[in-house]
Amino acid sequence: MALTLEIVTPQARVYSDTIDTVVIPTTAGEIGVLPGHISLVSQVADGELRVTKDGKPVVLAVGGGFVQIDNDKISVLAEQAITVDKIDVTAVEAALKRAQDQLKDAAHLDPAEQEHLHSLVRFAGVQLNIKSRHR
Amino acid sequence: MASTRDIRRRIKSVKNTRQITKAMELVAASKMKKAQQAALAGQPYAQLLSNMLAALAPHVTDNLHPFLVRRTVKTRGILLITSDKGLCGPLNGNLFKIASEIKTPAKFYSIGRKGTQFLARTKRDLVADFSVQDRVPFNEVKAAVDFITKQYLDGMIDTVEVIFPRFKNTLVQEPVIRPVLPLDNLREFLAALQRHAGVVAADEINRNQPFEFEPEAETVLAALLPYYVSREIYQFVLLARASEHSARMVAMKTAKDNATKLVGELTLEYNKARQAAITQEILEIAAASFSA
Repeated sequence: MALTLEIVTPQARVYSDTIDTVVIPTTAGEIGVLPGHISLVSQVADGELRVTKDGKPVVLAVGGGFVQIDNDKISVLAEQAITVDKIDVTAVEAALKRAQDQLKDAAHLDPAEQEHLHSLVRFAGVQLNIKSRHR
Repeated sequence: MASTRDIRRRIKSVKNTRQITKAMELVAASKMKKAQQAALAGQPYAQLLSNMLAALAPHVTDNLHPFLVRRTVKTRGILLITSDKGLCGPLNGNLFKIASEIKTPAKFYSIGRKGTQFLARTKRDLVADFSVQDRVPFNEVKAAVDFITKQYLDGMIDTVEVIFPRFKNTLVQEPVIRPVLPLDNLREFLAALQRHAGVVAADEINRNQPFEFEPEAETVLAALLPYYVSREIYQFVLLARASEHSARMVAMKTAKDNATKLVGELTLEYNKARQAAITQEILEIAAASFSA
């Protein structure tokens, strides 16, 4: 029995397919999921999500969220998610620089805004890291 | 019959009105498109999140998180989401109708200036009002939600319910009241909603297998539940915005059409009056020349 994986962000449905296996980064470490997995709810960390479909790997960068595994149906709710081939290094670097600049004089910003910027910086770092390893 | 000059003046004024409503219709239409896209794009995420919660709910014991505990309701907490500006047909009025039906003790929170004004006018217990920009940044909504959930946790209010115009399509916006907290009746509510939509509940959960949590349940729920609540209410605000712009566009289109119709009627009346005056004049000249 195949697994179905769905990755959704507030902006769009990023990935939806039947797959063989997936490795998900969680706050408690990476977990690998095969068909027949026990029902599980976990927190997704910023990091690299590796899907194997028909023996071929697909790599995505995900930024924070939750995952639910239930009856071989995996739902990933991420703040951000992007497949590796869509990562645009120059755009990410620009975004990273913008966020860092804003953070430099962030003392006057409210905590929620600062947290948002920090998450942007983290996710940008993750994207660059993944892109440099998968070309 | 009114004089031709009076009619001419009225035609001019109605034409001006038509011009303005037409411009407002166009503005509302472009805003509507954006707001609708935002609301629809957020839909699958919000839906999946609710489904996740719904599937989880029966496997979680009440005392794991304060959001799950049902308390005796002494004071209801109502969040009223309205538009900042008027001229959007019956949209806000319908919401006020729901709000005024609440007779039990309640504290009110408001997003949108119209709702704030209404609550002040009807002397309701308005605790706080929040303004949210038109493009609805998540942070601004989150600030409001954090405030309300804090009141809930402090025991100031025993429920959190949201009144907002649910966007169905451009022509139909349905004013609804949705309970958000406590989360204990979430599953029934979702099931009812699905039945209402004519869909059989997607996966009637007939297995007794409990969910595993990683890390432990408290940690996951402590992160998931507040996040869910703010996402859910954020989606409500998006829907409310889409409804607002749709309602305004429709209202302005109706106003424009009415103005066009009125101009037509007035023009007819004007022509009649003009013709009557000419006929009158000819008659007078003819009568004068006969009698001479």
